[in-house]
Amino acid sequence: MTDQDLDQTIRRMAQTPLSRRGFLWASGLSASAAFLAACGPGASSSASTAPSAAAPSTEGSEAPSASPSAEAVVVEKELLMYNWGDYVDPDNMKAFQEQFGVEKFTYDTFASNDEMMAKFQGGAKGQWDISAPTANFVPAMRDQGFIQKLDLPHVPNASLIDSAFKKQWWDPTDEWQLPKDWGTTGITLRTKVVKEDVKTWKQFFELAPKYTGKIVVVDSPDDVFVAPLKALGYSLNSADPKELEEARGLLMGLAPHVLALDSDQYNTKIATEEAVMGLTWTGGILELRDDPKTADTVYLIPEDGTVFWMDTWVVLADAPHPNAANAFLNFILTPEVQAKETMTNQYATCSSAAKAFIDPKMLADPAIFVPDDVLAKLEGQKDNSGIKQRAEIYEEFKSKIGQG
Amino acid sequence: MATTSEAVPVRPTRPPRSFRSGALTTLLVLPASLWYLILLVLPLAIVVVMSFGLQGKFGGYAPGFTLDNYASAFERLTPFTTSLILAFAGTILCLLAALPMAYFIATRAGSRKSLFIVLLVVPFWTSFLIRTYAWLTILGPDGLGGFIGDAIGDSSFRILGTPWAVLIGVVYGYLPLMIFPIYVTLERMDRTLVEASKDLGAGRWSTFRQITLPIILPGLITGSILVFIPLMGEYVIPAILGYGRVFLVGNQLVLQFLESRNWPEGAARAVVLILIMLVSIIFYLWFANRGRKTREVSVI
Amino acid sequence: MSASAEPKAASGLPAVAGAAGAAGAAEAARRPTPARERFGTLVEGWLRGHTILIYLFLYIPIIVVVIFSFNATNRRVTDWQGFSLKWYASVLSDKVVQSALANSLIVATSTAIISAVFGTMAALGLQRAPKWFRRPFEALTFVSIIVPEIVIALASLVFFSSSFDILNPIFGLKLKLGFPTIIAAHALFNISLVMLLVRARLSGMDRTHVEASYDLFATPWRTFWQITFPQLLPAVVAGFLLSFTFSFDDYVITTFVSGAGSTTLPLYVFGTIRKGVTPATNAVAAVMLLITLTILVVGQLVVARNARRAGGRSAATVAEMITEQSG
Repeated sequence: MTDQDLDQTIRRMAQTPLSRRGFLWASGLSASAAFLAACGPGASSSASTAPSAAAPSTEGSEAPSASPSAEAVVVEKELLMYNWGDYVDPDNMKAFQEQFGVEKFTYDTFASNDEMMAKFQGGAKGQWDISAPTANFVPAMRDQGFIQKLDLPHVPNASLIDSAFKKQWWDPTDEWQLPKDWGTTGITLRTKVVKEDVKTWKQFFELAPKYTGKIVVVDSPDDVFVAPLKALGYSLNSADPKELEEARGLLMGLAPHVLALDSDQYNTKIATEEAVMGLTWTGGILELRDDPKTADTVYLIPEDGTVFWMDTWVVLADAPHPNAANAFLNFILTPEVQAKETMTNQYATCSSAAKAFIDPKMLADPAIFVPDDVLAKLEGQKDNSGIKQRAEIYEEFKSKIGQG
Repeated sequence: MATTSEAVPVRPTRPPRSFRSGALTTLLVLPASLWYLILLVLPLAIVVVMSFGLQGKFGGYAPGFTLDNYASAFERLTPFTTSLILAFAGTILCLLAALPMAYFIATRAGSRKSLFIVLLVVPFWTSFLIRTYAWLTILGPDGLGGFIGDAIGDSSFRILGTPWAVLIGVVYGYLPLMIFPIYVTLERMDRTLVEASKDLGAGRWSTFRQITLPIILPGLITGSILVFIPLMGEYVIPAILGYGRVFLVGNQLVLQFLESRNWPEGAARAVVLILIMLVSIIFYLWFANRGRKTREVSVI
Repeated sequence: MSASAEPKAASGLPAVAGAAGAAGAAEAARRPTPARERFGTLVEGWLRGHTILIYLFLYIPIIVVVIFSFNATNRRVTDWQGFSLKWYASVLSDKVVQSALANSLIVATSTAIISAVFGTMAALGLQRAPKWFRRPFEALTFVSIIVPEIVIALASLVFFSSSFDILNPIFGLKLKLGFPTIIAAHALFNISLVMLLVRARLSGMDRTHVEASYDLFATPWRTFWQITFPQLLPAVVAGFLLSFTFSFDDYVITTFVSGAGSTTLPLYVFGTIRKGVTPATNAVAAVMLLITLTILVVGQLVVARNARRAGGRSAATVAEMITEQSG
């Protein structure tokens, strides 16, 4: 396959949402691409990374073992991070600081991607080094100049990322972001009350009238559209006016039966049985499963498909401490560190090398580490903020909650 | 005043000033004026400019000129009326709750007045979110909501997710804004006037209406403005305690600026809201101050 | 705030005290009817009961917050899992929370001071200002309160960023988002707040005492500090308290105009809601409450002890005593 063909194929793939089959195919492609890149012309710097990529694992307690390249640069004494709250394990933060002599680790938080985006669009620049947006925001950040290309030679552990998460259409060249973790949006049930064998979004909508006033939905336009579009068999990123209109019908039918639109306390509502059915994420739900009082809680990935979201690490444009940023990125991808992150945050890692250090019980949990056959039905999230029809439908949905 | 006439030689009533009138006035209003100019007028100018613009490719603002945003600002006005109702109800409830309390602290608390006053705001030196979550527990199925539900035998009874929960949360959050203005006017009132009025045979209600009320009226007006206006923009309390079942102007604006990232449309809606409210306040003040002789005499 | 009793006492109220005493005697001759008296006690009881109820209303959630700070649970705050002090330990060792709290205190105190000073000045100056200035100024005051937070927050961010982009290269500065921008943005609303409170207090206030002071040859400066300002003090203090409170608790504006390292407590708390608010924030709140209430109680004791030691009684208290004795 010539370089040109490869290029074309990648560009074509970038236009379409990838399924799991796509992952595997792409990974085969990416392996050959990597090889070509390493051996082709203009690959002088990447050649030097080849040996270090072969020895990716580092022991946490050893001195700067990140990579030969890291030893050559001076890591600044400060790192500024702009992230979701509580999203990096504090022990890992401390270990990083000790290992690289980073005296000051500033951790500022945002509560939503939209807030982060508005902040950058409003003009905040040169403030932080690293951020962790959800993947579908990366293209917009890249095109508006908020982030800079990754300095991959200085982050050799980037090779530990499973190829399944590479060459996604939010970053076909994998130069702009590093996968952090990923998860799904699905259906949560209190099977104590909901005796039906719910398996699809379609059933979710059908059962809504029966459990009226006991349904909770996360307050997130992108996730809310997943349910009707998938129930109808369309892409969850659809911009087709007809398809969206059909989705609108389903949503307006659901709205009167919804108890609450809540992204933060839905797990509490499920726990107290105020809600017995929900369109939710896994946050807070997994603990309910483990608690004997609420052990009947079930989180399932609907068979008609759902979204997989991925959070990513990006380096911001004008990052004041680029070397510290690279050191951190490399550090966080070392398998033991990754494993600790996964176990603390309870979201699946994107690096199989870390799995060796993860509690087997967690590895076997289908809600976190989704089995491959289900993975095939997951669709990536696109940036749909520009589609006016979606915005209008969501506003209408929001205003009709619990009425009628 | 009778004590000054005989023994002391006549002095001019205008005291000598160390500054010229104008200079002192300018100095006094300068800081606040600068603040308004730099941090209010200029940012609002940006909002106005945005309101005529276009939505950027990735959301946000893109230069351009269109009146479409204002056209859509006048559509979907239901949240505005919902906000109005909430603001009215909240203000009246706050008034009812605040007035006796301000009266008690100002007149009956004696030397412990300051303590009582500070104790009013101490609860707010905890995080808003955890206070509101505490209300979720108190009013929820494990708390009052469940208790009442069991008592009346209705298992689907709920306080949370209803306008009542929202009003409780609103009064909880806005009460100091109503108490403080009433208190500072009440506290200044000379008790002897009330006693003199009673000595002259006036009943309690008459005394209140003719002596107390005119004095505290500015406080009542200020308090109602300080509660009503911000309440129009409120959206977090209804989202949490109202379970997001009430869709208000605040929700609408946040949706447009953050999730839809349609800044021009949000800006236009905001401009319209501001103008409507400003005109309303002017009318309200004119109406409320009609009967009063407000000759403003400078006290310095 | 009990200082406000002083000026009244100072400006020749022995005469009024005498009148009150005389009125007391007169009242003794005209006793209220039993019905009136009962109604009076009813009103008193209702006033007291209402106040107690509202204070309970204000503090019950706070008690709940403190109770749950001892929750041994690992995630959901309201899921009681046993008694534990671990969250207090966590707060004491968590640098992020501590820094957020410190930032909040710095910002709130600065905002409150700025707002109290400039707001009071503006209220005083506005009385002297001509109408052509007053009307637009008042309109701006209202606009600053009307503007929804998300709008002024975003607009301020754009304004600050654009201004810095322009000013920095020209003057070789390195202005950026941080504490000053947060304080400036908070102060906008709070200056208006203080101004409105002081104006309410000023309304109807006349120059009687001021004139009397000038008649007694006091300078304008002294007159202000000894006569006028004490009368304004309750409003200024109220404004300071409210400004501090709003600034401390603000989320929306702070989110947008803060820079790196200026995360405040509300920002930190809101940032954790996705993962789940832990009892750590309850512990922080409980600590804040403990410190504040301790200061208040100690302050109150100190004031009470000083009052007793000074042995002085204000003329007003004397008047009350006379009324009670003759009544």
